[in-house]
Amino acid sequence: MSDDIILKFTNANILINDKAYERIITQENSIKFTESLIEDIVYSNQNIIVLTEEILDQYLEKNGLKEEINNEIIPENADINPPVSQSKFQTGMPFDFHVIQDTTKKSYTSGEVKDFITYFNSRYEQLHNILNKRRELKDHRPINKIGKSEEVIKIIGMVNDIKNTKNSHKIIELEDETGSTSVLVHNESGQLYEKAEKIVRDEVIGIIGSKKGTLVIASDIIQPGVPRIGEKPMDFGAVFISDVHIGSSTFLEDAFNRFIKWINGDFGDDNQQEIANDVKYLVLGGDTVDGIGIYPNQEKELTIKDIYEQYDEAARLLGDIRSDIKIVIAPGNHDAVRLAEPQPALPETYAKSLYELKNAEFVSNPGVVSLDGINTLIYHGRSFDDMAMSVKGFSHQRTDLVMTELIEKRHLAPIYGERTPLASEYEDHLVIKEVPDIFHTGHVHINAYKRHKGIHLINSGTFQSQTEFQKIYNIVPTCAEVPVIHRGSFKLLKFA
Amino acid sequence: MGYFETLEEETEKLYAIARKARLKGNDMEMEPEIPLAKDLSERVEGLVGPKGVAKRIKELEKEWSSREEVAFQVAREIVITPDEEGKEDPIEVKELKADQALRTALAILTEGVVAAPLEGIAKVKIKQNFDSTWYFAVYFAGPIRSAGGTAAAMAVLIGEYIRLSAGLDVYKPTDMEIERYVEEVELYESEVTNLQYSPTPDEVRLAVKSIPVEVTGEATDQIEVSHRDLERVETNSIRGGALLAIAEGVIQKAPKVMKYASKLKIDGWDWLDKFSKGNTKSDDEDKGAPKVNDKYMRDIIGGRPVLSYPMAKGGFRLRYGRSRNSGLAAMGISPLTMEIVEFLAVGTQMKIERPGKGMCVVPCDTIDGPIVKLRNGDVIKVESIAQAKEIRKDVTEILFLGDILVAFGEFLRNNHVLLPSAWCEEWWVKTVQESEEYSEDTGPDLSLETINDISSEEAFELSRKYNVPLHPEYTYFYHDVSCFDLNTLRSWLYKNYDESSIENGLILDMEPPKRILEVIGVPHSVQDNKVIINHDHTNALISTLAEPLDAQKDITTLEALNEVSPVKIMAKAPTYIGTRVGRPEKTKERKMKPAPHGLFPIGTNGGSRRNIIEAAKKGSIFVDISRCKCTECGVSSFHAKCPVCGARTEPTGATKKKINLASLLKKAYENAGVRRLDEIKGVVGMISEEKYPEPLEKAILRAKNDVFAFKDATIRHDSTDLPITHFIPKEVGVTPEKLIELGYTHDCYGNPLERDDQIIEIKIQDIIISDNCAEYFIRVSKFIDDLLENYYELDRFYNIKEVEDLVGHLVVGLAPHTSAGVLGRVVGFTKAACCYAHPYFHSAKRRNCDSDEDAVMLLLDALINFSKIFLPSSRGGKMDAPLVLSSRIDPEEIDDESHNIDAMATLPLELYEKSLGFAKPSDVISVIDNVKKRLGTEDQYQGLMFSHNTSSIHSGPKLCLYKMLPTMKEKVEEQVKIAEKIRAVDQKGVVEGVLQSHFLPDMAGNSRAFSRQKVRCTKCNKKYRRIPLSGECTCGSNLILSISKGSVVKYLEISKELAKRYPIDTYLVQRIEILESGINSLFESDKSKQSSLDVFL
Repeated sequence: MSDDIILKFTNANILINDKAYERIITQENSIKFTESLIEDIVYSNQNIIVLTEEILDQYLEKNGLKEEINNEIIPENADINPPVSQSKFQTGMPFDFHVIQDTTKKSYTSGEVKDFITYFNSRYEQLHNILNKRRELKDHRPINKIGKSEEVIKIIGMVNDIKNTKNSHKIIELEDETGSTSVLVHNESGQLYEKAEKIVRDEVIGIIGSKKGTLVIASDIIQPGVPRIGEKPMDFGAVFISDVHIGSSTFLEDAFNRFIKWINGDFGDDNQQEIANDVKYLVLGGDTVDGIGIYPNQEKELTIKDIYEQYDEAARLLGDIRSDIKIVIAPGNHDAVRLAEPQPALPETYAKSLYELKNAEFVSNPGVVSLDGINTLIYHGRSFDDMAMSVKGFSHQRTDLVMTELIEKRHLAPIYGERTPLASEYEDHLVIKEVPDIFHTGHVHINAYKRHKGIHLINSGTFQSQTEFQKIYNIVPTCAEVPVIHRGSFKLLKFA
Repeated sequence: MGYFETLEEETEKLYAIARKARLKGNDMEMEPEIPLAKDLSERVEGLVGPKGVAKRIKELEKEWSSREEVAFQVAREIVITPDEEGKEDPIEVKELKADQALRTALAILTEGVVAAPLEGIAKVKIKQNFDSTWYFAVYFAGPIRSAGGTAAAMAVLIGEYIRLSAGLDVYKPTDMEIERYVEEVELYESEVTNLQYSPTPDEVRLAVKSIPVEVTGEATDQIEVSHRDLERVETNSIRGGALLAIAEGVIQKAPKVMKYASKLKIDGWDWLDKFSKGNTKSDDEDKGAPKVNDKYMRDIIGGRPVLSYPMAKGGFRLRYGRSRNSGLAAMGISPLTMEIVEFLAVGTQMKIERPGKGMCVVPCDTIDGPIVKLRNGDVIKVESIAQAKEIRKDVTEILFLGDILVAFGEFLRNNHVLLPSAWCEEWWVKTVQESEEYSEDTGPDLSLETINDISSEEAFELSRKYNVPLHPEYTYFYHDVSCFDLNTLRSWLYKNYDESSIENGLILDMEPPKRILEVIGVPHSVQDNKVIINHDHTNALISTLAEPLDAQKDITTLEALNEVSPVKIMAKAPTYIGTRVGRPEKTKERKMKPAPHGLFPIGTNGGSRRNIIEAAKKGSIFVDISRCKCTECGVSSFHAKCPVCGARTEPTGATKKKINLASLLKKAYENAGVRRLDEIKGVVGMISEEKYPEPLEKAILRAKNDVFAFKDATIRHDSTDLPITHFIPKEVGVTPEKLIELGYTHDCYGNPLERDDQIIEIKIQDIIISDNCAEYFIRVSKFIDDLLENYYELDRFYNIKEVEDLVGHLVVGLAPHTSAGVLGRVVGFTKAACCYAHPYFHSAKRRNCDSDEDAVMLLLDALINFSKIFLPSSRGGKMDAPLVLSSRIDPEEIDDESHNIDAMATLPLELYEKSLGFAKPSDVISVIDNVKKRLGTEDQYQGLMFSHNTSSIHSGPKLCLYKMLPTMKEKVEEQVKIAEKIRAVDQKGVVEGVLQSHFLPDMAGNSRAFSRQKVRCTKCNKKYRRIPLSGECTCGSNLILSISKGSVVKYLEISKELAKRYPIDTYLVQRIEILESGINSLFESDKSKQSSLDVFL
C-alpha cells in the first residue's frame, strides 16, 4: 500500500519528504487521502515540487479537516455495504425514489429569437456560477474590461469558435455578455494544448493568460469540472439498459426475454441470480421502441409499424418484470416525443399501456432521479454524435471518454447547430447542475463503463442487432450486454 | 453567300461596332472581350490555351481517330517539351506545364464549352511520398461537376498520363489518408447532397489505394472531418470536387475509364474491373419485357401530380416517331391531353418510367388524345381544343391519357430495348403498303385525312383484301380486359342486337358491362338511361366478337380474340409509360436578387432597394472600390480614363474610399442624355477582385429602359430549351418575304417559299424566342441604341419598333456551367414559355431538352458590355460567362446526344415489328436514318425529316396549372383531384406519396433545422452560427432567425387535412401526429397552455 502512495506521487510529479509521508500513511484511508491531496495540488495549479508537512497542514486547514476527522474516513476495503438480506427477493422494501430533475411539461419556449437569447444566457450564467467558485478564477473580469497591459488576465466565456492557425496554434474565440476576444493556445504548451484540443464550441470555460496585442495568450484553461465524490452506501442493485428498439425487425426479443427472466430470478448461475435478487431499480435510457418515421424507409425494417402497438408491446415485455422493481423510463430520439432536447417524458397518449404499469416512472431526457439516495443522471446521448465529430480521439466506441469530458464541461450537449437539436428553453436544463453518483447514457449501441472521480459512467449498449445502416458504416454494436451497479460495484451481464 | 458566311459577316459587323464603342475608352478594355472561335480547337485555345494549341489540335485530329486520343496526345506534348534542350525543368515549371496539359486536354474532351477545365481544377502539384519519391496530385474543385462524371474520370486518367509522361512515381496513400476519403464520402452524402453513385467504404478504399495520382482538392463545404490535420491534406473540410471525381467519376464510369486506359495503353487500371461488373445492368434487363419501374415516382412532390402509374392501363401509350418539335429528350403529347389534365403546358417537364428519366412536353396533334368519361356517362374521344376546354369540368374519369410520341433516338440514346409499339395508323399504312396485293396505282388512298375517316365496313374490307390487321380506329384496348369480360360484353351486345336496325347503331339498357366498354375505349353516349353506340363502333364490335372467346385456355385475351375474329386484331396499346409532372416551363428575364440596373457599389446607402438616387442624396459615400492609377500622370481614380489627363489607367486593387456620388450622378445624367429617374439600382459592393465599377451611365440607361444587369454586365433572358427542326412562318409570326431575306428559299418538300403556311426546315443556328423574351429584347435593344448614341456617340443600331424587327438579329446562347456562348439568330416567336431552337444549337451549349433552361442575350450587348473585370474572383466565377463565342456549329463537334436525332418521314415496318420482340436499338439501326449517319456530309444540315407533323408548335396550354395556382394548398388539391380522375393513377398512393416524399421530410427537416439554426442581422446581413450572448449584432442591430416558424409549419395544416380526408396508411397519420406535437412543443409554451386551462377551471 505504501508503494502505491509513492507511485501516485511519482505519477503526479511530486516529491514527498519523509515527515509528510509518515503522516500520510498513518491516515486510515491513506490512498484515498493521497488521491484527493494530489488532486487538490494539481487542481489549484500550485507549482509544488516537494510536498512538505507545511503544505499538508495547509491542505488540512483549507478543507476544514482535522486529522481526527480524517481518521474517520471510511476505510477503503471495509465493506460499506451491509450484507445481503436473507430473503430471496427484497419484496416489500420501501422505495426511496424521487425525481430531482424533470423538464416534462416545463417547455416554456415559444420559438422566438428572444428565447434563443435567454437560453444561451441561462447556460452561460449557470456555468459561470460554477466557474466563479473556482479559486483560480475568483477575480476574473468581463471581457470588455480587460485592460491592455494587465499582467494576468482571467476571463470566463462561452466558446464561439475554435480555429487552427497555419502554425497549428489554436485560436479560441471567447464571448461573454459584454464582448468577445480571441485566445491563443500555443502549440508547444503541452498539456494545455491537449486540453484545448478537447474544447468544443458553445461550452463555457475560464481562461487565465496574458494580453499580447489583440490576443489573449492562454496559460491555463479552466473547465467547470467536478470534485471527487465520496462513495455512498448502496445495499441494492440498479440495472441500466437503453436502446431496446422494440418494433424493429432487428430487436433481439429472445435475448431481452432472457434478460427479463434473469431479473425475475429465473435465469443465470448462482452468482448472477444473486445479483438479480438485489435489483431494485431498472433504468431505461431512451429508444425503448424503434418509433416511426425516424429515418427514410424505416417502415421496411419494422415488424410493428404502429407506434401505439410498439409501446403496447413494450408494456407487455416490461410488464413481465417483477412488480417490486421500479422501472424508470426516459425518452430517446426514436421515441414519440419532440426531438429537440430537453425531451419531455414519453407522452401518455402513445405510451398509455406503459403508464398502466404500476411500477413504471417516467422522466424527461435528461432527467435526474434519486434511487434510494443514489443520484442518477439519465441522458440518452444524442450529443455523442457531435462530440465524436468535433474532438480528435473521441468516438462512438469510447463514450466513457466523451462522458468524462461532458462531466468536466458540466454540460450534456454543449455543441449547438450540429446534429443535436436544442430547444431554446428559458433555462438550460442540459447543464449538469449537481454532480451525480451515476451518469447513464445510451444511443450509440456500444457499452462503455468508467469510474471518474467516483462517478459511475455507464453506457448501456443495446438490444438491437446490427442494422443495415450500421452494416454500411461498419459499426458493431454490443448487443444484450447489461450493466448493473450492484452494491456499489459495476457488473456486466451478457444475454446474447 | 452561304448561311454560315452570312452569320459571320453580320457578326463581324457587330464586332466592328463594338470595337468602335470600346475605342472611346469608357471601358477598361479597348476592345470586345469575347474572342470568336470557329471550331472546337479555337474554343479550347480561347478558353484555356496555350497559344497555338488550336493549330496543333487540328493537325492531331487528322492523325488520330478519336477526340480522347487527341486530348491525351496534346497533354503529353505539353508536358514533355522542355524549356531548354537537354535540361530538366525545375519543379515549378513542371507543375505549370502539367497544369496547362490537364486543362487543355480536359477542355478538348468537353468540347471547349464547359467551365470545368477552368473552374473544376483548382491546381496541380508535384508532391512527395513518405518514402521520398515524387508523385502527381490533382486538386479538384466543386465545378468539376459541370464536366459530368465521364469527363471528371477522364481528368483523373489524364492526370495519370501526365504522371507517366513526366516520369513520376505513384501516389502512396497512408491508412489515415484513405480513411479520410471514406469519412468524407459518408459526410458528403449525409451533410451535403447525395452522390449519383454512393460507393461503399471498401470501394472507396480500393479506389484511393489504386488510383496512381492523388485525387485531392480544395474545401468545398464548411463541414469538418474527424481525420484532421493530415500532413499532405491541406484542409480539414470536405473536398467535394475530389469526391465527385472519385465516386461519380472513376468508380461510376469504370467501364469507360478501363476502355480508354487500354486504348491508350495505360497499365494498372485493371482493378476497375470490379466496379464495371457490379455496375452493368443484369442480363435479363436486356432480354424480354422490362419490369415495372417506379423510380420516377419515388419522390412525389406537392403540386406536381403523377399522371400515370408505371405501366398502368390507361396511362400514356408509347408511339414511335418524331414530331418537328421533338427529339433530344423532348417528346410529343397531344395538346388535347394537355388541355384536359391542365398540369402540362408546352415545355413542362415530365419524369418518366422509360426509356430515359425525364422529358419535356411538346404538343403534337397528329397522335391520339385522351378518352374521357363525362358526368352524364358519355365516353368520348376528345377531338378539339375547344371541346377539351368545354368538357374539362364535366370529366369524371380519364380512361386513357393519349399517346406519348417517343423518337427511336431516345431509345438509342438511353440504350434501352425497344418496347412494343402502339398499333397506330402509320403502322397500319405500312402493313397495307407492304402487302403482296398492294400496288401504288390501284391501291386505296392512304393519306392521313382519308384513313382517319374510314368507316368500319371499309376497314374490315381492307383488312380482308390486303390480309392486314384491323385498322387502329376499330381496334380497341381488348388486351386490358379478360376473356370473361369480353364474353360478358358480347352477350350484352348481342342481347340487344338487331341486324335490321344497325344503321342507327346500338341502343342498350344500362347494365354493368358498360364498364367494359369504357375500359376498352369504345366511345358511346348515354341518354335516358340507355347506352348508345354508333353504327361504326357497333359494327366493329359485333364483327370482331363474332363468337364467344374460349376462356378456358391458358392464352391471353388477345390470342383468344384472334381465334374468333375474322380479321387480325393487334394490341392497341402494348406499352404504357408511367409519368409524373416535373419542373414547370419557364421564360423570364434574369434578375439577380435584388436586381441591379448597373454594377456600381453604393454600400448600404441606397436602402434595401439599393437605389443609387437615394444614396446620392447623401452627397458623398464611403465604398470599397477599385483604385485605377493613371499610366501618365499617376492620379488615382476608378475610371478607365484618367479624369485629369485623359490617359488610360490601370487597376491596382481595391480600397475603401469616399466618393462624391451626387456629382458623379449629375454628370452621368448629362452624359447619358437622361433628365431624371426615380430609381436606379446599384449593388452593395463589387464581388470582383479589382472592384472596378461599371460607368454610372450604363446603369442610368438600363434603368431608363427597365432592363437589368447580370453579374458580368450582360443582360440575359432565360427559357426552357425545346428542339425544333421545322417551322411554319405563320406560327412564328414572320412573313415569307422576311424569311427569304434571311436566306430561306424553299419549304421542306422542295417547293419555293411563297405562303406563310408552308413547312420550312430551320437553319441550325436560327432560334425561335418566346414572346416574353422578344419584349425584353426590344427594351434591351433600346438600351443598346441609347448607349451607342448618348454614351459612345455612335449611330443607333437596332432601331426596333415592333417585335418583327427583331427577326434576323444575332444573339448569344449560353448555358450555366459553361463558358462558351453559341451564336444564334432570331427567326421567329413562340407564345410558349420556351426557346425553340435546332437540336444542334442546344447540344452545342451542352444542353438537352429534358427541362434544361439557359440564357440568350443580344450579341451587341455582350460585345459592348461584357467584361472579365466584373467576374467574381471566387471559385466558379468564370462559369456562366461568355469567355468565347462559337460562331459556327459543327455537328461533329457537339455533344453526341444530338447525333441520335431521327430524320425519317416515315418509320420502317421493321422497327414496328422488331419492337414487339424487345429488340435492342442497335439491332434496327440499319434501317434508321438519323444524324449520325449524315455526319460530315451536307445532309447533316438539311433533310432531317419528321414523321409526325403538328399544326402548331405552341398549341395547348402555355402555362401549366402548377404555375397558375398561387398556394401549395390549391396545387395539392388539384393534384389530388386529377389523381382521382385518371384511371392510371391510384389516388391514395398519390396522397401518401406527397406526404411521404415531400411534406413529412420537409416538416421533419425544418423542425430539426429550427433547433440548430443560424441567426442573421436585419441590417448588415451578418450571419451568426449561434446567437451572441449580447443578443444583438456587432453593428448594434437586431438579429432574426433564419428559419421561421412559418417554414416549419407550412405543410402541417394541409398534411392534417389530407390525412383526414383520405384513407391513408395509419403509419403516415401517426407520423403527422408525432410531428405536430413536436412542432407545437417548440412553439407553444406549456405555461400558456396551463394558464389557459386555469381560466377554465
